[in-house]
Amino acid sequence: MTIKKDVVIVGGGPAGLAAAISLYKQGVEDIVIIEREKQLGGILRQCIHDGFGLTRFKQTLSGPEYSQKFIDLVKELKIECVTDATVIEITPEKKVVAISKLGLLVYQAKAIVLAMGCRERTRGAISIPGSRPAGIYSAGVAQSYINLYNTMVGQEVVILGSGDIGMIMARRMTLEGAKVKAVFEIQPYPSGLPRNIEQCLNDYNIPLYLSHTVTNIKGHSRLEGVTVAKVDEHLHPISGTERDYACDTLILSVGLIPENELSMGCGIKLDGRTKGPLVDDYYQTNIAGIFAAGNVLQVHDLVDFVSAEAEALAASVVEYIKKCRLTPAAINIIADADIGYTVPQKVSGEKDFQISLRVKRPLKNCEISVIQAGTAIKSIKLQKAIPAEMIKIRLTKSDLISIDDLKVVVK
Amino acid sequence: MKKIFTCIICPNGCEITAEVEGQELVSCFGSLCKRGEKYVKQELYDPRRNVATSVLVENGDALLVSVRLTNAVPKAKIFDVMNEIKKVHLIAPVIIGQVIIRNVLDLNSDVIATRKVAVKSK
Amino acid sequence: MKQVYDVLIIGAGVVGSAIAREFSRYILKIGVLEKELDVCYETSGRNSGVLHGGFTYKPGSLRAECSVEGNAEFDKVAEELDVPFKRTGKVVVGFDKKDRESLLKYKAIGEENGVPGLEIIDKARLQELDPSAGGEFAMYSPTTGILNPFIYNVALAENAKENGVDFYFDNEVIAIERDNDLYRVVTKKAVYQTRWVVNSAGLNSAKISSMLGINGYIIGGFKGEYFILDKKAGQFINMPVYPAPGPTGGFATHATPTVDGNVLIGPDSVLVDDLVDYGATVSAMAGLIADGSKMFKHVKPEYFIRNFSGIRPKRIDKETGKALDFVLEVRDEAPNTINLVGIESPGLTSALPLARRAVKMFSEKEPLVPNENFYPKRKGILCFAKQTDEMKKTLIEKDPNYGEIICRCEMVTKAEIIEAVHNSLGVCTVMGIKNRTRAMMGRCQGGYCETRIVEIIKQELNKTTEQVLYKKSGSNMFTGTVRK
Repeated sequence: MTIKKDVVIVGGGPAGLAAAISLYKQGVEDIVIIEREKQLGGILRQCIHDGFGLTRFKQTLSGPEYSQKFIDLVKELKIECVTDATVIEITPEKKVVAISKLGLLVYQAKAIVLAMGCRERTRGAISIPGSRPAGIYSAGVAQSYINLYNTMVGQEVVILGSGDIGMIMARRMTLEGAKVKAVFEIQPYPSGLPRNIEQCLNDYNIPLYLSHTVTNIKGHSRLEGVTVAKVDEHLHPISGTERDYACDTLILSVGLIPENELSMGCGIKLDGRTKGPLVDDYYQTNIAGIFAAGNVLQVHDLVDFVSAEAEALAASVVEYIKKCRLTPAAINIIADADIGYTVPQKVSGEKDFQISLRVKRPLKNCEISVIQAGTAIKSIKLQKAIPAEMIKIRLTKSDLISIDDLKVVVK
Repeated sequence: MKKIFTCIICPNGCEITAEVEGQELVSCFGSLCKRGEKYVKQELYDPRRNVATSVLVENGDALLVSVRLTNAVPKAKIFDVMNEIKKVHLIAPVIIGQVIIRNVLDLNSDVIATRKVAVKSK
Repeated sequence: MKQVYDVLIIGAGVVGSAIAREFSRYILKIGVLEKELDVCYETSGRNSGVLHGGFTYKPGSLRAECSVEGNAEFDKVAEELDVPFKRTGKVVVGFDKKDRESLLKYKAIGEENGVPGLEIIDKARLQELDPSAGGEFAMYSPTTGILNPFIYNVALAENAKENGVDFYFDNEVIAIERDNDLYRVVTKKAVYQTRWVVNSAGLNSAKISSMLGINGYIIGGFKGEYFILDKKAGQFINMPVYPAPGPTGGFATHATPTVDGNVLIGPDSVLVDDLVDYGATVSAMAGLIADGSKMFKHVKPEYFIRNFSGIRPKRIDKETGKALDFVLEVRDEAPNTINLVGIESPGLTSALPLARRAVKMFSEKEPLVPNENFYPKRKGILCFAKQTDEMKKTLIEKDPNYGEIICRCEMVTKAEIIEAVHNSLGVCTVMGIKNRTRAMMGRCQGGYCETRIVEIIKQELNKTTEQVLYKKSGSNMFTGTVRK
């Protein structure tokens, strides 16, 4: 039996929850959230550290507290949530198939919201040499073991990658009595936020070595140690700089990848830079009526912005449900060499919008401009711009002076 | 003497350059908001941090309940606070915001639950 | 009094497991000793998963004979033992005149060995067979196939177990003594008594030979590394693509689809001293990308999901250093032993033919009584992902655990994990579950499901956190609990 819905939201993490609430409040009430876990909340369930909600709620909350505010609202509004159900297929005709203990659930939606979040890059994806003993965990997996499963993954720890979760786990494991020996980052700059370097590493005297990587992993049963070397400007290890660290645990915090297997199965085009769908200013993908927001679209550094992005998406979905189509976006956004990517990748020119972007390398006292037909239509000045921090530029419809493509440049 | 601080109050993580004489803050610049100066003073005189960790729950639908402090405590007290938290055993249910330890070690801060844990269903 | 085995087999690789299974057709008390915690930990589980045609082995050799025989019968074997298998065919591609000569040579050898259907094909035909293959021309071997090497080994062992064979894991043999017409086989854990000993110890076959009093064998460990590519790359490849063998005869890096839809790039071949080091090396990875790209056009880092390596136990000629044929023998200096040395590639293909020959050697010394209760079939864990929607519904109705997907990448359900946890061999490592279900083999490499699988192992087998093992003895995954 096929269940008809105005909107099916795939994923009950921060993006899915915020989108659902916002849709409901704007009158689109025939909606369902499908969540693969037993509880709503997504990855925030395991993010027990504080620092969430500063922008949105003006207070510093833990991940579970932040998500509970949304979950409570979802419950209060009686928005339908199907938990413990894994979506296995989405079609361009907007059919959604999920597997649950109740059987195969088949939905026919007018619109679909992709809110599947992201996953961690693995050891295999970056081909770290060496053996494969027990004791190698990606940061999020270690976080899950420690914070949800009451399981201590190790005692003598080395961390590869300076992603925020890795640094947060450095502090977390230190608090639980583990010795975190060092964090190594292959790039010449950290990939996580400065405040996490300060409060997770510096506070506990954990050294961070930039331009270093793991060149060997030792041990056949449990991890016995790693070899670390300095890297040159091409990120190749410099021979003669190797140092051995005895450890029983290696934590990898080497990046996050938007989880788009379902999107790809449905023919949604992805941006090779973000690994998320190509979207317009309505957060609509190349398939009309399928929208994406949150970490499935682009990896965010703050959940507050995930919620905001999902709410912006909701406004577009409401419009789509009403009109059955949205103005096609024909204005491309082109980023210059110092900018990693932009989201959206194109705009309609029919509404106000926000461009999210990241710089590729740390810059000081820079100016980022949006240029159309040779004219800078919007510029922002920044004391510093770092890859760890997403930069946002708001533009109004009236800022646009033509239908030419937009160029985003850094000076 | 010049000292560099990374403000941890918000995600901006402003790099603040402070001129310090002895323990006195003479001047500082580099923060995007006023909280930066307050942070630097706090760091100079009495650095404080919050602590987030877990407490064991019996008979719950989760093994652990996450907890944090209502107020930051002196940095030097973090591990003492951890030791107090480790001693606690709870029995489900636990509600979000429930005070787990009131005024832990007289530091003017409560340990509170940051998630709910329901009684395990049979 | 301790029980006495009729036959004790050392090594639970594919050959040891096949021998156990074939012996279990007769009334015998059979045991298998394995140093690791599961079957196929070494060479049997670390290879290309190819059912070879048999065209590269010297005519008259045991390798030629067994691979041709093993290839021909495998449809039946796969069905009987429920092993994922596809007779894909294979192309051995060439680029120049030298390669063409090599292919012609091996076509002639193959024909002499009795390999059916070999033909030299032009580029157009090659592209038609496999559009992503490199090469200007090729030899096509229609009988070559691909199979899941883990499941094959597991299936042989499970079928042997079903037919009464005892398996002892974590039992590395450290000494063998002859005592009143019996052997005392001493392992790190216990002592076993047996009338016959079968040495199918793979990389350690020369060592076990010496313990049996058969000296002089040299095993050279040839390590080969691989990349595993995402299933997204799997859609581009139809069959194994190998380069024409060079003058020494061996195959260099090739591209092989796996029966589950991934692609393997590898192996290279490097003689190593350390027979337990499966570590990946930077130098090998670079070579694999370069050489693999010649075979398969889609070797891209974005498809890399894992590396692995295997070590082939080649029997080496002391004087020339050349690799020699398989040894399968009974020797006077070691009565009541069957000795297998240097069983490398095509060991998967040859396992059952070798096993039958081993049984025959036994029967030439002692009469064998058929086991009337022998049951040749084994059913594997039903793969939910491969079922139709209708079947999926039925399964969930029957067991709601089919409705809980644990491994998202490979769509493995809780029902399958639970079935794997309760496997008949009693294997309880995380890797054991992985090899039996494919959970954690996908692109997220367990990022989503490993925590859940560990919980299932703990719950189903009543294990503490500290007892959960990743793969080997001592590979404890955790140091304890966060809170007590």
